[in-house]
Amino acid sequence: MSLNDKDAPVLKSKINKTELKRQSILLIIAGLYVIYGIVFYYLPLLGWIMAFEDFNLRDGVIHSPKVGLRWFKFLFADGTFPRVIRNTLAMGAINLVATTVTAIGFAILLSEVKNIYGKKLVQTISYLPHFLSWIVVTSIVRDAFGTNGIINEVLVNLHIIDQPISYFMHTQYFWPIVAISNVWKETGWNAIIYLATITAIDPSLYEAAAMDGAGRWQKIKHITLPGIRSTIIILLILNIGNVINAGFEVQYLLGRGVLQPVSQTIDIYVLNYGMKNFSLGTAAGIFKTFVSMFLIFLFNFIAKKTGEERLF
Amino acid sequence: MKSKKIFALTMACMMGIGAFAGCAKKKDSITDYTFFACMPGKEINDGNEIQAEIAKLTGVRVKETWITGQEPAEAVGSMVVTGELPDFIDGGDGSDQLYEAGVLVAWDDYLAKDEYKNLKEMYSDKEWDMFRKPDGKIYWANVFQNTYGESKATGHNDEAFWIQVRVLEWAGYPKLETMDDYFGLLERYYAENKTNADGTAIIPYTALCEGWRYFCIENAPQFLDGYPNDGSVIVQLEGVDKPTIVDYNTTPTAKRYFSKLNEIYNKNLMDPDFAAMTYDDYMAKLASGAVLGMCDQWWDFAFTVNDKFKAAGYDELGYNYVPFGLTIEAGMKNHWHTYGDTLNSASGIAVTTKCKNPDKAFTFLARCLDQDIHDLRFWGIKGTDYLVDDQGLYYRTEEMRNNWADADFQAKHCCAYSYFPQYGGTSRDGKNAMNPGEQTSEFFATLADPLVKCFEAYGYTTYGDFLQSEHDEMGFWFPMYSYSNNMSTKTDGGAAWAKMGDCKHEWLPKVVMASDFEATWAEYMDAYNACKPEDFLAEMQVELDRRVEMGKDA
Amino acid sequence: MLEKVRNKLSHNKMNGWDWAFVICNTIFMILFCVVTLYPVLNTLAYSLSDGRDAILMGIHLVPRVWSVDAYKQVFKIAGMPRGAYITVMRTIIGSTLALAANALLAFIISRKKFLFRSGLSLFWVITMYASGGLIPGLILMTKLHLTGTFWVYIIPGLVSAFNILVLRTYMDSLPDSYEESAQLDGAGYMTIFLRIISPLCKPVYATVFLFVAVGHWNSWFDAMIYNRMNIKYTTLQYELQKLLNSVMQQTGSADSAGKTGTKSPVTPITVRSAATIATMLPIICLYPFLQRYFVTGLTIGGVKE
Repeated sequence: MSLNDKDAPVLKSKINKTELKRQSILLIIAGLYVIYGIVFYYLPLLGWIMAFEDFNLRDGVIHSPKVGLRWFKFLFADGTFPRVIRNTLAMGAINLVATTVTAIGFAILLSEVKNIYGKKLVQTISYLPHFLSWIVVTSIVRDAFGTNGIINEVLVNLHIIDQPISYFMHTQYFWPIVAISNVWKETGWNAIIYLATITAIDPSLYEAAAMDGAGRWQKIKHITLPGIRSTIIILLILNIGNVINAGFEVQYLLGRGVLQPVSQTIDIYVLNYGMKNFSLGTAAGIFKTFVSMFLIFLFNFIAKKTGEERLF
Repeated sequence: MKSKKIFALTMACMMGIGAFAGCAKKKDSITDYTFFACMPGKEINDGNEIQAEIAKLTGVRVKETWITGQEPAEAVGSMVVTGELPDFIDGGDGSDQLYEAGVLVAWDDYLAKDEYKNLKEMYSDKEWDMFRKPDGKIYWANVFQNTYGESKATGHNDEAFWIQVRVLEWAGYPKLETMDDYFGLLERYYAENKTNADGTAIIPYTALCEGWRYFCIENAPQFLDGYPNDGSVIVQLEGVDKPTIVDYNTTPTAKRYFSKLNEIYNKNLMDPDFAAMTYDDYMAKLASGAVLGMCDQWWDFAFTVNDKFKAAGYDELGYNYVPFGLTIEAGMKNHWHTYGDTLNSASGIAVTTKCKNPDKAFTFLARCLDQDIHDLRFWGIKGTDYLVDDQGLYYRTEEMRNNWADADFQAKHCCAYSYFPQYGGTSRDGKNAMNPGEQTSEFFATLADPLVKCFEAYGYTTYGDFLQSEHDEMGFWFPMYSYSNNMSTKTDGGAAWAKMGDCKHEWLPKVVMASDFEATWAEYMDAYNACKPEDFLAEMQVELDRRVEMGKDA
Repeated sequence: MLEKVRNKLSHNKMNGWDWAFVICNTIFMILFCVVTLYPVLNTLAYSLSDGRDAILMGIHLVPRVWSVDAYKQVFKIAGMPRGAYITVMRTIIGSTLALAANALLAFIISRKKFLFRSGLSLFWVITMYASGGLIPGLILMTKLHLTGTFWVYIIPGLVSAFNILVLRTYMDSLPDSYEESAQLDGAGYMTIFLRIISPLCKPVYATVFLFVAVGHWNSWFDAMIYNRMNIKYTTLQYELQKLLNSVMQQTGSADSAGKTGTKSPVTPITVRSAATIATMLPIICLYPFLQRYFVTGLTIGGVKE
């Protein structure tokens, strides 16, 4: 049960002259926003030409020698870039699922805390790691997962493993470690938006449910979750578009050498191969944009079909 | 209403900004220039004392800014596009982009004039030619590794296999010649000494594999074969009709070297975490005194590690490192230590077209090399920073030395203009070193007892002596890395170079940790050859031929 | 507020399962706090440590050798007062203007009768994922004469698709009845935006304000690329980045290779930690003011005018 009804198309057909006149102020303002958007976001896309030329600073964006699809061919000439795409998408997806689930779970559990001071305190603490730079977080993660780190110590003492594992020497641990690092850093921060949405749920709904004898779990299931459902869907779709931006710093700082086959993301690839070659970086950027747009349209379409809140 | 308050606040802030922008004050007769380096560096305080002194003498004060969180090419690109250029610039790896963009002032006219003879004097005509760009002009000059008069070098600023002096003392100061000698000694020492006095476990050998610093594991084969540090390739002279590029990654020596590392890894002599180490981890490990030996460049570890040793009193325990010039077989010549200067023509100090008065800028560059200014930059102010004895030799008291090693003091007092023209070697007075670090008395005053004992046992007076390297003059092409450092994926050779780097980062640790070395080596070779190293080598050969040709002309 | 809690408790007899839940939840929250607080306290401990000791021994929660040198270093930066001033200004002006701009656009897009509702959403969604890259962006800013000014921090990032969609989703979830009754009273769209919708959106406004403010507070890259040589508009974070880079140089680099070695009680780790703590504090101070909008329940009825 969602609070809003999805009957926009029905309403749209009802737009008449009076409504249009009433709307004129909105149309004018919207027009100004579009001009702003074109100037600051769409105009720079002309720079995509760079992907089809051998860009150099003397000739500039417009006049550099044209090379056609050379850089796109370069990207797909061998197995490196496809492997990089796989890593990026895999880590992006794992991180997205992990951080979304933990943020929602944390927000709901926190909203169940009735002691207002405890609640405020926990929330204040929860978002602090967001302000730590990755360099700080990864150094702690490296310590924790190190051969003599706390994780190994605990696991050995609990007899789950016989001897310490060198987590950073084996590829299979890398993606989970990246996901854990992300969860650790961002759960509290990501939860803020859900907490804000939960507060907008009419308290009388809970009271009515309580009268009907609903338990805690039923209230969460039938009031809280539907109340934040549209926010979850919108953020999910937006972040699915960002799966291709799975990150740079954390992989760069944690995944050197032997871990490279699973740690290299598109951004790291661009750093390695696009140095002094802006054209290659631009080509990779265009590729990323198209993957993002494809994912967005796909999931927006699914949302539309299933009658969920959607982006556009 | 609240919104009104916010609006008022906003307006007030905007006015504040306006007022702030208006108050840029006028300065005296001193010209302020800006300098940007595509290298990270230390910023000095406004009102730095030696900077003020130099400004008084030269009429120029330079505000230095260093690259922050960007790649050189990116920084250069953004400055060129926005037109926000400094007056002086060192483009580092982005130097070619600066030339490409046409924003640099050519040096040729200035080099021809007598007023700027200091600049001209920096290099021979032949050397200056190395700096010429495709349009035939010179746009920058590298300021490093340029010796005036007799060399006073006491250090070994290059790569070597390093070993703690306590191991040598334990073994009675043996001469280490080959790779096998070195690892054999480590093994024997470790068999009897598993922990340090404070209980930390000894790590006989470690190798850093992180990022660009992976040369610590990667490039030893070129040296083991007796070749100098061309960085990315070997230049072979004997048994070929012209200087020829050889790939050191696939030589029999390379295979023997990595199989040796594999052997010591399987004997538990190698640090088990070597492949997962960051540079910080590595530094911490070395600074703890636990590591007996490693292959590294002096500048990559020594400054931090020696300071830490001193602070913790470890230098008195013989934890300091000395280098050895190892070869794969006994009796081979080696070139680990480079005598003479290495001319890296790939980058250097340049003046941009943004500079309003280039004449004055070049005058300042020339003034930098005058002895009075040079002494101010590197020795400091006479009386405060150094004293002069009866023989006219400069020296420092312990307090002065400590001052100059203190970061706060450096920021408010010292101003080396470290990327501006400078010399090593002997001062124009014929007695002192251009740079205090090379003053013999200063050098020995800073060594701990076990090091001094070690130097005496071998009868050496400088770190360089340990290497027993050849003294022959380098070919005109040397070093080839000044070319490969500037490669990009825009060329096939550059693309291959980038892929080879990726491949080696991934495979070298695997090869070292392999349980079946031969099979893993074969897999590595397959992956390596898939990167098309031949494209890279071909491009390097073309550049080598060009340089050889140029050397002939001059 | 307490009354409400009491009300709820009286409505709702706690049974065994509830108690179990409350206890588990409390334990979970405490564990969660311990785990999240650890890196922060670790950073704090490093920031208050003697640098040499920290790098040699590693620090957990309490420094062995105390020292405030790292903080001294941070607050002594030459560009600090000016950088702090610019940063505060851009945070206040930038966040306020951005919130206003995003809220108004979100309001327009969220009107169910608006003609280009879906088209306009798509227009902005695309901007999230398509970028021309560094160089074309710089060319644009140069052509618009925004480089070398203060406004280059404010104007380019004014409207953000992410914030618009967060705001829009929230506005969508508000009951239509408010708008409809106001419309019947003859209120125009702008009145509805300012008088009806905005007061109801306080929690999400606070959220977006926080997001934008944190972004402004932490950003240094734009300061560097647009005002690298123009110290008039340097920002706090850019100055700190430069400081970190400087301190980093105490551990040698290739060419210049520290001709002078350095002994220093500060190291990259301690300075980085001090800088982190110093920049976290103002945001921690701002937070309680915004927090009240999304921790305590919003009673929609109470806002109705």
